[in-house]
Amino acid sequence: MMVSPATTGAKAKSAFAVVFLILVALFIAMPFVQMLVLSFTSTLHRDDIVQWQYSLINFRNILGSPVLSGSIVNSIAYVTLNVVITILVALPAAYALSRYRFTGDKHIFLLLIAFRITPPVVLTLPVFILFSKVGLVNSPVGIALVHCVFNIPIAIWILESFISAVPKELDETAFIDGYSLPQFAVRQLLPLIAPGVGVTAFFCFMFSWVEVVFARILTVTGGKPITMAINTLYGFRTDIGLVMAMTLVSLIPGLAVIYFVRNHIAKGFIVRS
Amino acid sequence: MAANDHLRTKSNAAWWLLAPALGVLAFVGVLPLLTIFNYSFFDIFTLETRFWVGTEWYREILSSQRFVESLARSLLFSAIVLSIQIPLGIFIALLLPRQGRFRTLMLMLLALPLMVPWNTVPSMWVSFLGNSNGFGGQTLAFLGLDFDYKFNAVHTWILLVAMDTWHWIGLVVILCYSSLSTISPAYYQAAAIDGAKRLQVFRFVELPKMTGVLMMALLLRFMDSFMIYTEAFRVNAGGPNHLTSFLSLDLGEEIAAYDYGPAAARSIIYFLIVLLVAWAFKTIMNIHQSQTSRGAQ
Repeated sequence: MMVSPATTGAKAKSAFAVVFLILVALFIAMPFVQMLVLSFTSTLHRDDIVQWQYSLINFRNILGSPVLSGSIVNSIAYVTLNVVITILVALPAAYALSRYRFTGDKHIFLLLIAFRITPPVVLTLPVFILFSKVGLVNSPVGIALVHCVFNIPIAIWILESFISAVPKELDETAFIDGYSLPQFAVRQLLPLIAPGVGVTAFFCFMFSWVEVVFARILTVTGGKPITMAINTLYGFRTDIGLVMAMTLVSLIPGLAVIYFVRNHIAKGFIVRS
Repeated sequence: MAANDHLRTKSNAAWWLLAPALGVLAFVGVLPLLTIFNYSFFDIFTLETRFWVGTEWYREILSSQRFVESLARSLLFSAIVLSIQIPLGIFIALLLPRQGRFRTLMLMLLALPLMVPWNTVPSMWVSFLGNSNGFGGQTLAFLGLDFDYKFNAVHTWILLVAMDTWHWIGLVVILCYSSLSTISPAYYQAAAIDGAKRLQVFRFVELPKMTGVLMMALLLRFMDSFMIYTEAFRVNAGGPNHLTSFLSLDLGEEIAAYDYGPAAARSIIYFLIVLLVAWAFKTIMNIHQSQTSRGAQ
């Protein structure tokens, strides 16, 4: 493909590709540009600032509001906790599914799919009742735990693919050399599947950071994450500039995560069917 | 997943490795489902005072016109979303260069909408399309196009599909691209030597490599669009005239009204739909696996 001479046909094709991709980029970028402009605009009628004028008022309001600035800490706390729990429990599970055959293993996959695609709105009511009994409402721990319901299946799926790409001889040699399973996992397997852990963390972060339904039902009075802090801003006179400024702030950690895994994603990974 | 039967050691002790993951899932998944299954047979005033009603809620929901209509709308929405996003995602992934800064920037830009809180995705689009200060709204007005997503149901649908595509196309592209970039150039060279047409390269080299991720993309996109909630609710709250009222919006309404019994029954019905989809998905994967393993022999 790449070695073929640059004929007019090939040139026309790559020109089409560039134009098409730029159109896609524009489609994706436009609402972000709108967000960026609005977040630096005073969108409410205020005594000291002319409405629709450039202003830093929205960012000052975020800093001045404990609910808004605190929500950033809450979000980071629950997402980090969720990613750590998910990867810690998914790693041994993925290893088991990749290396062993056992009674009932065929049904695990069905179970995982079912949990991954169960809509949060189906579970909201009982999760709220259950979590209020054990004191997990209004705390980042509750959200971190409940998000495991969709993140653990995805994590097992991705990690299993990465582990299966590692030849089994490596395990066997290590065991002959006297490694225990945990020793082997930490010293030999983990370094090899580090990109897989990165990709998994990216997907877990992505699904957890932006989730709204569980986050709402589990934070009634406190511990509100960014999504819920934004929800409190919607009202009769919504300060859309403030909403957009908050969205912009919420994108920064996401952008950082994308930046860290960009090469792993670009280098490619296989998800086995 | 787990096609390499002959390579795996038989050991039931492996269950212990699964125990932590299954323990967490039991607590946050199975236990709530059992609770709700129990509730679905009661008329609940408070959680202490409740009356056995048997299958009344189920009969009521399943025989209601509204349930059937919402189900049809959700299915239609998923069908539209999938028929746009899966081919478009594959197409973009194929067009992306295999290296370079432009490729990385494109991938990052495509991933960005995935990081936007779901409750501000609609706000961004509504602001964008607002005709006083939105760039999109101003452009449409300049072109003389009347886009009224509040009162014109077709326009609400267009907005929801465009918004969902904007939000999720990156996921499909990233999954497809990631598997495409594992194809060794040798395959393409071999195909070129054989004089393979572009379509044949796609059909016999690229598509088989993408099967796993495509399945994942298909499943995730189907269920998330089928049960779309936050985005649809924020745009038009199911309107105009309930014409964008999807399955999950009906459920959200009952939960908000503290109708525990009917909400529980509805949740169980939705979960059964989910199970059916998961089962169908697994069956298709199994058929695919047995075909590829036969092909390999």
